Amino acid sequence: MTGNVRIYIQAFKLAFARRMAYRGDFLFSCVLTLLYESVIPLVTVLIYGSGYSFPGWGFYEVLAIQSAFMLARGLAYPTLFGMVITTIELVKNGQFDLLLLKPRSILFITIATGIETEDLSTLLGGAVLFTIAVCNLPPAGLLNALLFIPLLLCSVAFLFSFALLMAGSSFKWVGNYRLYEIFSTVTQFASYPLSIFPSPMRAAFSFVVPIAVIAFIPASVLLGHSIEFLLLSIGTSLLFPVLGLLYWHKMLRNYTSAGG
Amino acid sequence: MTLKEDTISIVVNNLKKTFITYTRGHTFRDAVKSLFKRQKMVVEALKGITFLVEQGELTGFLGPNGAGKSTTLKILTGVLFPTGGDASVLGYIPWKHRKKYVSHIGAVFGQKSQLIWDIPPLDSFYLNRAIYDIDTGKFDHNLNSMTEMLGVRDLIRKPTRELSLGERMKCEFIMAMLHDPKIVFLDEPTIGLDVLAKDKIREFILEKNKLGVTFILTTHDLDDVEHLARRVIVINHGEIVFDDSMERLKSHMGNKKIVHVTTQKNLPPLNEAGITVSNRISEFEAELELDMSQMKLNRFIEDLNKASTISDLSIEQLPIERIIKELYA
Repeated sequence: MTGNVRIYIQAFKLAFARRMAYRGDFLFSCVLTLLYESVIPLVTVLIYGSGYSFPGWGFYEVLAIQSAFMLARGLAYPTLFGMVITTIELVKNGQFDLLLLKPRSILFITIATGIETEDLSTLLGGAVLFTIAVCNLPPAGLLNALLFIPLLLCSVAFLFSFALLMAGSSFKWVGNYRLYEIFSTVTQFASYPLSIFPSPMRAAFSFVVPIAVIAFIPASVLLGHSIEFLLLSIGTSLLFPVLGLLYWHKMLRNYTSAGG
Repeated sequence: MTLKEDTISIVVNNLKKTFITYTRGHTFRDAVKSLFKRQKMVVEALKGITFLVEQGELTGFLGPNGAGKSTTLKILTGVLFPTGGDASVLGYIPWKHRKKYVSHIGAVFGQKSQLIWDIPPLDSFYLNRAIYDIDTGKFDHNLNSMTEMLGVRDLIRKPTRELSLGERMKCEFIMAMLHDPKIVFLDEPTIGLDVLAKDKIREFILEKNKLGVTFILTTHDLDDVEHLARRVIVINHGEIVFDDSMERLKSHMGNKKIVHVTTQKNLPPLNEAGITVSNRISEFEAELELDMSQMKLNRFIEDLNKASTISDLSIEQLPIERIIKELYA
């Protein structure tokens, strides 16, 4: 385990050094990522600024959900999600062979190879917005605040399961970039209060594909709101990484390398 | 070839690999058609190959494109599963014991890089140190000795993208051997390199081989094989067509010589048994192949001198390329 931690730290340093080779591009990418991630909170500012609202939700409460969404993505994307594009690219050109030559878990090496430091800007942006939201809301109870952390980790694990599903699919369906785009679009629903959706969608987002766990549930628990299907949502969301791991390992067997 | 049983490090027995691939024509219509129905094709990359390799051997693995060399290498490095047969390397079944097994091997692929493009090779070496859990003393010793041997001591601090192909390939070797592998698989390691870089790398391989490292070398460069390999396995259409020493490979075509001759008078017809004219350059000059089992060299020279008076004569071994071409046919 300590060996893997050492590798991960080394890989993180290298990922940073790699991006520092093109500092201008790195800074530009960070700013663009942050701007992209800030679009939804900006729309919320416009909605509330023009006198409209999401029924039953104050501006800073919605901002808390949306910044929790950014925090979850800001944690999952740099550390775990880079494996998706890395796997797609490496499988496509046959370079995935080189990861199989390392005496470590293939999944771990794939994750360590795919670290994306520029996505840390999302984490930074999320932290700033979250601080603004929390500072403008009544203080959360201690238990609520303590529960927020494991729920945020649960959210990261849920996001990771999608990384596993997408990366796993690329072993068989080589070059499936579209899947990544679909995932990014669908998960945008997670940045709004669940109550604004019709009941079938609420149910679907709670325990079929529980995207509510990405941001709505951790933020609602922090804010002390009552949540429908809370335990069912958490249970289902924890099942996803297990299924993701099984799927990824099963799909790995489809890897056929490239010619030559 | 006879091998000592207690020193065998690679055992390959009736190894088979079948791929399913899809084909289509080149027209736009074919491309659209392939969207709905694709032509499936089963490719037998390996049809049951068997061979043994002794610890410390330096074996050349030759074959034309698509012969099955790289597939064999990928199976032996644990990258691919075979469809049938067995293989064991250092007592491990590569595709079953991958994680434990690969810590004992190294691999250099001429067309795939383990180095990280935008940062110096030294950074990649440190990543490998963590991955292979190499202790500091061993790492420093191996790094120093190999950078010295390959003459890249200062280059390893420059970004990989700024290195020449030869310099990069030297660093690939260091990357692959920092953890002291017992066996190193080389897949076309000198592809695209200049003569100096090739020589340096060949020297390095021979030096490491002297220390007991087993090398399996697949290449199209017959110079590599002639300089390095003591044993050659030739594979074609997924089958082994030759497996013996370099000397035996050279004598595979029989006792033949290439003779280049220039005479003072017109050349005779040269149609006797054992003589094949490969290039009649002029009435006084020709290149021919002499099968000495049918025509003795001294008799040939005597007869030719009597008939046309030899003014110049050179005799060479049959080039290895010719032998290989014959084996591939």
